[in-house]
Amino acid sequence: MTMHNKESSPIKIILFLCNWGAHAAYQTLQDEQRPIPDEVHMVRIPCTGRIDRALLLKAFSMGGDGVALVGCDPGTCRYGTGTATAQRNTKDTGMILDLLGLGSDRLRFASFLPDESEKLLLFLETFLHDLQQRGKTSIQPAVGAQPVTNIPMNAGPELQQLIAAHDIYACQDCGKCSSACPLALIGKPFSARGIATAAIAGNLNDESVKENVWSCLTCGLCYERCPSAVNFPKFIKELRHLYKQNNKLGDETHGGFLHALMRSMASPELTPNRWQDIPQELQVDQKSNILFYGGCAPYYDIFFNKHLDVHTEKILFDAIRLLNFFDVHPRLLKDERCCGHDLLWSGDKECFLQIARLNADRLNSLGIDTMITSCPECYMTFNTTYPAHGLALNFEVIHLYEFLEKEIDRSAVSFKPLAKNITFQDSCRLTRLEDKPELPRQLLDRLSPESFQEMQESGRAAVCCGNSAWTGCDSYSKAMQVKRLEQAQDTGADLLVTACPKCQIHLKCAMEDPLRLNKLSIDMQDLTSVIAQSISWK
Amino acid sequence: MTDKEKNTIAQTEIIVTGFGGQGIILAGKILGMAASLGDHKESTLVQAYGPESRGGACNAQVIISNTPIHYPYVQYPDILIAMSQAGYDKFAGQITEDSILLIDQDLVPTVDAPCPAYAISSTRMAEKLGNKMMANIIMVGFTTAITQLVSTSSAEDMIAKSVPKGTEQKNIAAFTKGYDYGLSTLKGRERKAAGQTGAIV
Repeated sequence: MTMHNKESSPIKIILFLCNWGAHAAYQTLQDEQRPIPDEVHMVRIPCTGRIDRALLLKAFSMGGDGVALVGCDPGTCRYGTGTATAQRNTKDTGMILDLLGLGSDRLRFASFLPDESEKLLLFLETFLHDLQQRGKTSIQPAVGAQPVTNIPMNAGPELQQLIAAHDIYACQDCGKCSSACPLALIGKPFSARGIATAAIAGNLNDESVKENVWSCLTCGLCYERCPSAVNFPKFIKELRHLYKQNNKLGDETHGGFLHALMRSMASPELTPNRWQDIPQELQVDQKSNILFYGGCAPYYDIFFNKHLDVHTEKILFDAIRLLNFFDVHPRLLKDERCCGHDLLWSGDKECFLQIARLNADRLNSLGIDTMITSCPECYMTFNTTYPAHGLALNFEVIHLYEFLEKEIDRSAVSFKPLAKNITFQDSCRLTRLEDKPELPRQLLDRLSPESFQEMQESGRAAVCCGNSAWTGCDSYSKAMQVKRLEQAQDTGADLLVTACPKCQIHLKCAMEDPLRLNKLSIDMQDLTSVIAQSISWK
Repeated sequence: MTDKEKNTIAQTEIIVTGFGGQGIILAGKILGMAASLGDHKESTLVQAYGPESRGGACNAQVIISNTPIHYPYVQYPDILIAMSQAGYDKFAGQITEDSILLIDQDLVPTVDAPCPAYAISSTRMAEKLGNKMMANIIMVGFTTAITQLVSTSSAEDMIAKSVPKGTEQKNIAAFTKGYDYGLSTLKGRERKAAGQTGAIV
């Protein structure tokens, strides 16, 4: 269906054109009836600096084959920093396009003075010519992009089925969920049992209920405490899908950049280009029957380094170093895609299923017997979610910590003293949803830090880092993160050890609080990196 | 007997020492039986009787050889396996530069040997496996990996035949634990010698 369309439909260039200098040049072309290519679709904007990276990426994920961001010379921006911002955004998004295997040159920044209309035309013609050589992108408009409306939200078989499948009638309205929910405890008008009651009473269309469904952290603390064992995170996941089908969407954080990225990766013909900057000393073997699955860390590093100093891809490299330490030279997948976790957990089930099928087919064809991952979300998604959606994998999925515990337990290794007082931030996926709080702790207990002190709430009771699935971040999320960081400070720790790249991103963001300055700031390192630094042969 | 003569007739002399009750004699017996019954070599065992076997510094002396053994007592052990400080102290003077010393590092904290020494926390590992009585079997595994004294299959066979009924699998697991740790110790030393101490090079 797609190949035909692909060849017949013309190249599409989205031209974001600054209102000030360059637009005058464009107008000249129009006035003089110069042959502006039909493939160019111009969007007039007030300043190139306002086209953020999410918009740039969305232009591709919605069918653009090339994007031109055309504005003013550095130093001549009407608003001062617009050009610099646009150049930075172009560079970042270009790196993302490279990782996706699309090539950074599909996105170009250029600047023209009002009298440089012929130059502008030449730029557009050259761009079009280059794109015609390259062909259309392999991105297809996401499945399920068109909402399926008319699914009754308040009654109807879909909702009844959800209520029955998740045993919502078992909710006793006792309030244990609210007494545990980190959002409720921080003061947000949020109630898990309230959502359950609203689903039964048929009040899902209420704005407050909808807001609650989209701001749930799906961290699983309520499920942990629920005396009736109502699996609330799972119910929320399905409710979001129901809302999504009715086009009642929640707030995608970061302008929807990450969702656009993930949806793009659901395109069958897309061939990402990962692991380009893997350090040379790392040993991999493309014939190995052990695959290391990295996850989205490199995308995060590109995106978040604009504001935060996070280096989550280092966790992946350290994981491979540890595999190498134990003589495992893993296979890496150059065309590795997203596992789809965040799509599923933000209601986009159709897109998740598409990405999951692509992944399952690709991975099952490799002939590997083990997949090791250091990302708790990838781990849960491949280990539990895929099989639950009928996608069987023909290999074993294990978390890096499982591998390490097994190897360390039978090896003559020791751990160099770590001159830090440490505490630990649990990953909700690994600790609660996969019910493995002991996995990181076995390893933590092997380390030799100055001290290891758990936070006030830890293990199965641990508080979330503030957000999941890039959905619904607000001031309450921030307040929660601040509380969590204060808990970390209270332990007297000077190193907060994490188990998920997102915990690092979210907690780091909360540390940027301009009012509290450095009061919240604490060094963070992933457990994988801590182990990689301190492990040694006896 | 000079070293040269020893080598030509490929005779290995072992002393296993520790507290009575640790299974020292059984460890010696397993090594000897594995060599003779499993690997079809000659072997002898001299075991400490008397008060030692009920709690003092007890020992088993094992000789494994390709040719018939004329004298079963060990004066200068090629391999000393020590599972108590008192046992180590008793035999420390008999170690030569060519010996190999294997110790339980938690029970033999003070070692000053002229020969290569390999350490394992056998008792602690056995506790983790559920029964500290298996420390001796872990030690047998460790010894097998480090010295290649007997073949693993013979050692496993003899362990299965020597331990109480119903505990065979647990004891084989203990053997494997000690064996893996021994291999890992050798690998670690190789790596360290090559300058690769940790994961980050």
